[in-house]
Amino acid sequence: MEALDLTKRPKSKLALQPEWADVCYTCGTCASGCPVTGVDGWDPRKAVRAALLGLEQELVDSRWPWICTVCGRCEYMCPQGVKLNSLIRYARTLRERDKVPGVLHKGVAMCMEKGNNLGIPEFDYLFLLADLSKEMEEGTVEGHHGEEYPAYPGFYVPVDKEGANIIVTINSKEPMGEPEDMMFWWRIFYAAKENWTVPKQNWEGVNWGLFTGDDDALKEQCRRIIENARKVGAKTILYPE
Amino acid sequence: MSVFELLKEYIETGRIKLDKSRFEGKKITIHDPCNYHRKSWMSFGQHFLDECRWVTAQCGPEIVEMEPHGLNAICCGAGGGAWAAPYERERLDYGKWKADQIKATGADLICAPCHNCRDQIMKALTKEYDLPQRTYYIWELVSDCVIFEPWSEEEVKKSHEERDKQYERDGVELEEEEEY
Repeated sequence: MEALDLTKRPKSKLALQPEWADVCYTCGTCASGCPVTGVDGWDPRKAVRAALLGLEQELVDSRWPWICTVCGRCEYMCPQGVKLNSLIRYARTLRERDKVPGVLHKGVAMCMEKGNNLGIPEFDYLFLLADLSKEMEEGTVEGHHGEEYPAYPGFYVPVDKEGANIIVTINSKEPMGEPEDMMFWWRIFYAAKENWTVPKQNWEGVNWGLFTGDDDALKEQCRRIIENARKVGAKTILYPE
Repeated sequence: MSVFELLKEYIETGRIKLDKSRFEGKKITIHDPCNYHRKSWMSFGQHFLDECRWVTAQCGPEIVEMEPHGLNAICCGAGGGAWAAPYERERLDYGKWKADQIKATGADLICAPCHNCRDQIMKALTKEYDLPQRTYYIWELVSDCVIFEPWSEEEVKKSHEERDKQYERDGVELEEEEEY
């Protein structure tokens, strides 16, 4: 291993702003409080050092920024206010998109193309909501733990309802695999007689662009949610993620 | 708007009424999701920890805290996309911190307000670390306690009209089930 010549420190892609690394005291508070310190030989303090010393590519190529859950304990406790979350997330940004681990980037690309991470078609989505609405209204729903539910006369899921007070995003895992779980909120809305709605398109509430360090996708998804709210005139967005 | 603010508003203003008997006498421990609390505090200056506990208490159970909790809470291990990432062993090892914390509380139930944390605790940690508790979303707790009152005939009629209009607009046709 070659010694670093610190007089000719390369400009680091991960130390864009002083508060990302330059102000670090190397006290190790971050590393002591981190549940994944030591995994693959990395820890938050080392990540900051790597950023400062121009060794960021080693961090970018490692699994560690993806095993770290960006929980923010390190940044919360840092006495120097080092922006560790931004740093780790940017290490993810610097990963080539086809090397993003697992399904995360595929989900982002799917969301950009089809409006949700799992690519559920609009027809299936609308039909599912209508079908579940009918079950709720008829009282034929049974809970996972044997709960019995009454019939909810008049219940249906309003889609793109003009003048709704609240517009609610949806986590695509629910229509895909756990549709009855959406009813927890629906029963509350029924009791509160809320004037609510869900979007017809672009209803995804899970922003994987946040996780993969993809700023364009992150912003686009937020833009769509706001656009949906404006379209129906909803003053409030409920984002249960 | 955060889920905590909305649930609190519904309860405080009497728009929903809760039957506490379902969870009374039970001990519940609350997992504080990083995004809802710590990162919300760091980004927007609001942490909603008190609202979360207030809403939970309205459902009847006694709250027993994990240590540490609140702004210093330990992540469930599946945050930041880890639930969908391929590093399962690492995610489960990370989650052992959470599982040990939960065990130490002696709680009967777990409240996990976030989708991702709930999946990690309910579907992964429960099995991996033999946790006996059932995990609830906070809105699931509230939903299970809400006192049900059917709408009036007039309200039902209005709702059906709106529904039929919407289904016509969207081309949704449900097949009528055959009656026997």
